[in-house]
Amino acid sequence: MAAWGQGKRRKGESALARGLARQAVETLRLISEGSLTPTEHVSEVLEVVRDHEPQVRAYITLRSPERLEAEAKEVERRLRQGERLRLAGLLVAVKDNISTSFMPTTAGSRILSDYVPPYNATVVERVIREGGIVIGKTNMDEFAMGSTTELSAYWPTRNPWDLTRVPGGSSGGSAAALAYGGADLALGSDTGGSVRLPAAYTATVGLKPTYGLVSRYGLIPYANSLEQISPMARSVEDLALLLDVISGHDARDATSLSVKPDGIYPPSEPDLRRLRVCLLREMLEGSEEPIRDAIERTLDRLSSQGVEVDYDASIPSLSEALPIYYTIALAEAASNLARYDGKLYPFIVGGPTYTETASGTRAQGFGWEVKRRIVLGVMALSEGYRDEYYLAAARGRRIIRDEILKLTSRCFIAGSVSPVLPPRLGERITDPLKLYALDIYTVVANLAGVPSLALPVGFHEGLPIGMQVMGPPLSEPQLLSLGLLIEEVTGLRGLVAP
Amino acid sequence: MTKFKIGLEIHVQLTEAGTKLFCDCKSNYRGMRPNTNVCPVCLGLPGALPVPKRRPLVLAMAAALVMDCEVPDSLVFTRKHYFYPDLPKNYQITQYQGGGGAPVCLRGRLRYYVPDADEWREVRIRRINVEEDPGRTEYDGTIYSSEYAYVDYNRSGVPLIEVVTEPEVRGPRDARRLVEYLLLTLYYIGATDPRLEGSFRVDANISVAGGERVEVKNIGSTLDLERALSYEAFRQGKLTSQGGEVRRETRGWDPVRKVTKPLRGKETEEEYLYFPDPDIPPVPTKPLIREALPLTLLTPDKQMAKVEGYGVSRRTAWSLVTVRPALTLFLSSALEGAEPQIAARVLAIDLKGLLRKLGKDIHSQSSWPPPYTIKVISEMVKEGVYTYDEVKYNILPRLAEDPNVNINVIMPRRASNIEETVSAVLSREKKAVADFLSGKEKALDYLVGAVLKVRRGEAVDPKSVRELILKVLASTTGDPSNRLKRS
Repeated sequence: MAAWGQGKRRKGESALARGLARQAVETLRLISEGSLTPTEHVSEVLEVVRDHEPQVRAYITLRSPERLEAEAKEVERRLRQGERLRLAGLLVAVKDNISTSFMPTTAGSRILSDYVPPYNATVVERVIREGGIVIGKTNMDEFAMGSTTELSAYWPTRNPWDLTRVPGGSSGGSAAALAYGGADLALGSDTGGSVRLPAAYTATVGLKPTYGLVSRYGLIPYANSLEQISPMARSVEDLALLLDVISGHDARDATSLSVKPDGIYPPSEPDLRRLRVCLLREMLEGSEEPIRDAIERTLDRLSSQGVEVDYDASIPSLSEALPIYYTIALAEAASNLARYDGKLYPFIVGGPTYTETASGTRAQGFGWEVKRRIVLGVMALSEGYRDEYYLAAARGRRIIRDEILKLTSRCFIAGSVSPVLPPRLGERITDPLKLYALDIYTVVANLAGVPSLALPVGFHEGLPIGMQVMGPPLSEPQLLSLGLLIEEVTGLRGLVAP
Repeated sequence: MTKFKIGLEIHVQLTEAGTKLFCDCKSNYRGMRPNTNVCPVCLGLPGALPVPKRRPLVLAMAAALVMDCEVPDSLVFTRKHYFYPDLPKNYQITQYQGGGGAPVCLRGRLRYYVPDADEWREVRIRRINVEEDPGRTEYDGTIYSSEYAYVDYNRSGVPLIEVVTEPEVRGPRDARRLVEYLLLTLYYIGATDPRLEGSFRVDANISVAGGERVEVKNIGSTLDLERALSYEAFRQGKLTSQGGEVRRETRGWDPVRKVTKPLRGKETEEEYLYFPDPDIPPVPTKPLIREALPLTLLTPDKQMAKVEGYGVSRRTAWSLVTVRPALTLFLSSALEGAEPQIAARVLAIDLKGLLRKLGKDIHSQSSWPPPYTIKVISEMVKEGVYTYDEVKYNILPRLAEDPNVNINVIMPRRASNIEETVSAVLSREKKAVADFLSGKEKALDYLVGAVLKVRRGEAVDPKSVRELILKVLASTTGDPSNRLKRS
């Protein structure tokens, strides 16, 4: 049975004692008051990293302590000059598929080993401009293709709440780093649940924004029409701050929206009389019992606060969501991954001809799951199959999007993030269909392009349980307000694993 | 003669667009060191995103409008996949009518002028699509002997339009004229400079009755296009007449040996995995059309109509339009009051010929004189002060050498009537007149020389003086007709 207080009690034992369950906004306040310097903050976080990283292995690349200290000094200099920095001295973990010119960016793949992009992603630029410090690049499933971070070409990351279990994926490294206190904030990417699933498995908070709200410039693509760079944090308020910094129009991304809603940060208190939440049957029914219980209990509490809750909403077409999602995602992936052929990137398996170099490089550079998805994607796009697969999926996607838009215009949709509690390492990886099924509840928001927030609502035998809430496009401010309310009723905020 | 079908795919770079199709690198990369006109977008680095630039799309739209196309409400770009070293992403962003794509033009038509026949012809356009050019691969020596392939991405991402005709071009010469006219059109609307090396390439499909279609790829000049098609028509015609079979294949044109050679068989369709590029939302065409419309008023046919409006023949008008500075000069000198027929003849035929002979660049404004010069010349000829031949042989060669020479110095207005001098000399040189009238032919030369001596320093045509003397003598002596006729 899920226990409310468990997370809170656990954090009290270790990390909180060292002051690291602090929310990012609290650290920011201490820095602005002058009672904590960015340099001191860097060293306290590095101490935690030293303790936990060898077991968890959340980072593919960590910046050197010297470099981090230099960055902290630079932030201090900017603060002395009177600059107002919204992320002054906060340590941000960045998923390794987000381009950084100062560190390798591998997307968790061998084929991009040693690749250092000549440019920064727009989100990285925005973080640095606001005084945020990139602490390292986090582990992920290769090219974000996976739900457990076991499919990284480097090593699997472990769940700080239970080291025998996965942290979810593909942004598992970012979630794990947050969960043990190894970063204040994190950036992930969400193509079909890749920040929400890890958030649910690690008792952190992740938001997949409205498609186009955050620039994709610099995000190594998996499935362009579905994915968004997404903020991750240990509380809704922290997450809102990071979202506010990274969102907004970017001329370098043609799919970037020209509008941005007001009131993302700070998130406002929810207007209870106008809040309506629908529990979507298709997004709960297949879940394990402790998960259903935790979610229903959370909704009960919201209801007793005066939120109108509809416990029996349904969108039957959602049963088609998973095949539709995978058909589109794999078609786009096959296309995006065509460029890695040994001509422009450091990893090369040279052959006497271009064709041999390309096939040798790809044979040894890509992992099995990536190859499987390329083959399936090529098939979905090929002459003779395109109508049956890709174009049919594109039509199905429009139907689902319309249904979701219709329902979210009436209420926020609540549902499960994952049908199961965090699996053990190796438990799922052998059967791809089981692996893909982990995404069953999360792909809907990506297909529809709507925002979805995942946050902790309970624990079962020490394992975190998450819930997601979805709203209409650009409803992030309202979604974050609802998130604040949920944090209030569950008391789960700023959790750090023991 | 053998019946055959010809269809063309003409790739033209929009060299004048300023930028590449999806980034701010330059559209004209010529003269740059390898791999210096590149950025994350045109190198196809992961995470860099294509953002369609306005100018290339406006120019492509102008081309579509000029060719009376069906234009969609929105343009949709499509990815076309094939692995190749000079294609950074291993897919090309192009336009395709299937699978949810929407090219800038479907079903248009191109009217083109054929000077050989002095007539306008028309070909139906199947499609125009906008796409990015790949980079270039170079080798030490040949592709077979070179140890390495050198890839230069300066060209990668340069905007191209591909114009695809229906297979209804009448013959090799016609194909050449069509492409020449198309290039001229794109030049006049400000889309491309066809004289830049590599600014266009033609793939030609040709089949003879009873044979499969053969594609000849990568033809780099209009002259080579005509030659390649003539060669293929001959080759395929001969093959079928000898009972052979023309197979479906792709051939390349060897411009040195002037033959086509097999590149690869083409028994199956390639698999390009077309699908709409998810990084590029549909581009609404209404604003593009609005911006492109003014450019469509600049086309060669409209320029020809303008010149013909001055009473100039169609062939001469065409000759002017093919050399833009000559056209500009004609129109501005005509505005200044030049006599159009004479100005057109000077510019379109004689001065152009002289400039060519001297090896000057006829497409450079600086090779040509100012409008005032043309106006003076045409006036002098019209008033009979100078004959056209005098201009052609005495004045134009000097203008060709130095277009900025002062026309009033090399072509002075003659001070007084030449008749007065002639009668003065005749009344003075009585002996020579008598000698001539008594049959001494040489006396006439002497008289001409005497007139020229008086008018030394002025531009006087000896031939016209000679004629004038004979005329005066004929009228004063009453009947020197037999002698005059003899002269």
